[in-house]
Amino acid sequence: MRKKILGSHVKRLLSGVSAHGRRHLTEVETDLLQTELLLEEAVEKLTSSFMAIHSAVGARQETIDRLVAAGTLSGEDAAALAGMSGEIGTHVNTAITSMQFQDMTSQLIERTLKRVTGLREFLGTLDEHGADIGHDTGSDEIVERLGKVSMALAIQSLELRSVLRKSVEQRHLESGDIELF
Amino acid sequence: MAKTILAVDDSSSLRQMVAFSLKAAGYQVVEAVDGQDGLDKAKNQVVDLVLTDQNMPRMDGLSLIKHLRGLPEYQKVPILMLTTESSDEMKSKGRAAGANGWLVKPFDPQRLIEVVKKVIG
Repeated sequence: MRKKILGSHVKRLLSGVSAHGRRHLTEVETDLLQTELLLEEAVEKLTSSFMAIHSAVGARQETIDRLVAAGTLSGEDAAALAGMSGEIGTHVNTAITSMQFQDMTSQLIERTLKRVTGLREFLGTLDEHGADIGHDTGSDEIVERLGKVSMALAIQSLELRSVLRKSVEQRHLESGDIELF
Repeated sequence: MAKTILAVDDSSSLRQMVAFSLKAAGYQVVEAVDGQDGLDKAKNQVVDLVLTDQNMPRMDGLSLIKHLRGLPEYQKVPILMLTTESSDEMKSKGRAAGANGWLVKPFDPQRLIEVVKKVIG
């Protein structure tokens, strides 16, 4: 009687962890894909607006340059406008550096999605081994099967780690190092 | 005549930012969406500088460099990596493959132009 209870509990535990885990992973995956799409759209719109603003500022600057060349503006106004141009240039550089966020976030999301796929495979392993356990499976056999599950999970974990090399270590959007060989 | 730079990156926004910065400094830019596309475009038109990402579908940056260095017309053309990768191990691999420099993303346009000017004038 006890054997039957143990077998059925282990089986239920393995299949339960697997089923619940997979449902949550599907939600994680959906949210990550949605985040990726939103970030992609955000950067597309930001880039498009940035280009339009830059073009408009450039056209305005040409007009200002013409006014300065014609001597229409006072020396003080011309100096103030030149100062503003420098300030705009600094902001443009900062904006270009900052708008590179999506290149990094997409790589991080891609890595996380691969991990989700790996975790789903882990849960599949649990389910598979759980299916082999019957109501009448003895405790020694259950222990043996659980040992096999641990071994299979350890191998899967190693395999997953080998394909998940981290390529983005950046924590801030500040310009990176430059090295000429 | 303006010098031509081949910018290889699978990120559309990154390519746009690179092209924008280089064009503003007077360079011509040819864009490629991955290493294979970069190799095809490099064969079509010999450029003055190649600026490439590392992690891309179809062909990565290191493979692109190795292929380019195998072409007689690209043995002396400067190749710079522009990538999120910052480990010394990857930099060593880049150097061994034939890269002339390593720029870690994100890039600052002014610093990028300074490096490009230093390399190709």
